[in-house]
Amino acid sequence: MWYKGKMVLSVASYNFLRWHKNARVVTAFLLDFILCYLLTDKAVQFAVERDTTMQIFEAFIWTFGDSNAILLVSLLLLILFADMPFITTATPFYLMRTTRRVWVVGQMVYVALATMLFMVFTLFSTVVLTMQNAFAGNRWSRTAAALAYSGSGKELNLPSAVKAIEMSRPWQSMLWVLVLMLLYTLVMVLVMLLFNIWKGQIAGIAAVISFSCYGLLLNPDNIKKVLHLPDQLSYKARVLVGWISPLNQATFYMHNFGYDKLPTLRQTVAIGLALLAVLLILTICAIRRYAFSFSGTEGK
Amino acid sequence: MRDVIRVMDVSKSFGEETVLHHISYDFKEGRIYGIVGNNGSGKTVLMKCICGFLIPDSGEITVNYKRIGKDMDFPPDTGIIIETPGFLPNLTGMRNLELLASLRKKIDKKAVAEAIRAVGLDPEMKKPVSKYSLGMRQRLGIAQALMEDPSLLILDEPFNGLDKHGVSQMHELILAQKKKGKTILLSSHSQKDIDVLCDVVCEMDGGVMHCIRDRIEE
Repeated sequence: MWYKGKMVLSVASYNFLRWHKNARVVTAFLLDFILCYLLTDKAVQFAVERDTTMQIFEAFIWTFGDSNAILLVSLLLLILFADMPFITTATPFYLMRTTRRVWVVGQMVYVALATMLFMVFTLFSTVVLTMQNAFAGNRWSRTAAALAYSGSGKELNLPSAVKAIEMSRPWQSMLWVLVLMLLYTLVMVLVMLLFNIWKGQIAGIAAVISFSCYGLLLNPDNIKKVLHLPDQLSYKARVLVGWISPLNQATFYMHNFGYDKLPTLRQTVAIGLALLAVLLILTICAIRRYAFSFSGTEGK
Repeated sequence: MRDVIRVMDVSKSFGEETVLHHISYDFKEGRIYGIVGNNGSGKTVLMKCICGFLIPDSGEITVNYKRIGKDMDFPPDTGIIIETPGFLPNLTGMRNLELLASLRKKIDKKAVAEAIRAVGLDPEMKKPVSKYSLGMRQRLGIAQALMEDPSLLILDEPFNGLDKHGVSQMHELILAQKKKGKTILLSSHSQKDIDVLCDVVCEMDGGVMHCIRDRIEE
């Protein structure tokens, strides 16, 4: 078991070694930083205009408390994983020394670690972009209070929900936002990996686009507009969407903080982990009959 | 003599195109088999099926009496070169092979260096693989296949990119492997490679394989 675990890590680390001077990887991280700059700018400007400070993680919490921002950052990951399922001309040498299962689990470990790194980089970027006018203490700032209680948050698309502020603290909120984003993006990339292995590269991309569109179209605001729902029913639609849309499951304020029927954060984590387990099993099953075709640039 | 590889009624198609058509053949221990044929005749596909990278549509392949894809995913104790050998371009040849050797931990650094020396490269060379010529990469690929001293070698076009001297060096190396009792399958477009090295020559044509020369039977 320990021996196989080391093999899995060796397969995963091979992919990280391919990051050296890799233009695609640099582009993905650079675009992520630019995206963070564009998205957090609204929060920073809001604080500057009111001459208030911010808690250092607030820009991250409010920016990625919005489902569209989560969708955008998750789609950037596609650049990082564009060569999925990571088969190169060196792959046969690894396969002959392992098994199909070890190899694919190694790929999944790589995907998980790279996704974590990408999300932590996203957090780090927002911290760097706001640190000039921020404090690290575990309490909400006046900016947060203004965003939540004045309704400006909604106008600026920075969902600094009152319930989030009242029921949680910045460090905990930051961790939850990070965990939710991580779960969403992990499910997304593992869906891509599964379909890549099962039906080919085009199917992998189609699966990710479908997954993202499914989340996007199940936005409660869109449904409310399309169906012209009265307020009472739109709340029910919001709860339903909160449960069945993966993008809403990834949105911090779309959770039950003690007084509604939305999923709780723990329930979302349980659903996410269950989905990841299902995807892991299905991918291991799919690799059994996968036809390896080796290509790549290393040999050239 | 023991059958190391048994290919039993194997067929493989890609869409409408049948690449392997009911192929049956037994590869015996200690011989060098040359597989020849035009481009697209199915040589690489057959080798990939034996290696377990492709799963035949029908039929069965056993290596050392174990079924590929059922009893095991890939044949153990096998060294391969399939298509152009690829390595991490920013690392040295030695470091690349060390990484591969660390997977099974069958050999130490000394044995890796020995394999690199055997193919005419310097294990101490600090040059990254990205600066290697095509011939040097091919040599490193051969070192990779030989380093763990496997009993079966499957080499698809192993002499690509090598100069005359390099080819004759590799011929000697492969003949030395045969003397150790290893079974070797190799494909090559060069008639000279086949004439010098192979005990048995099999030709692939239109997805069918037939033996066209058997020096041992002769």
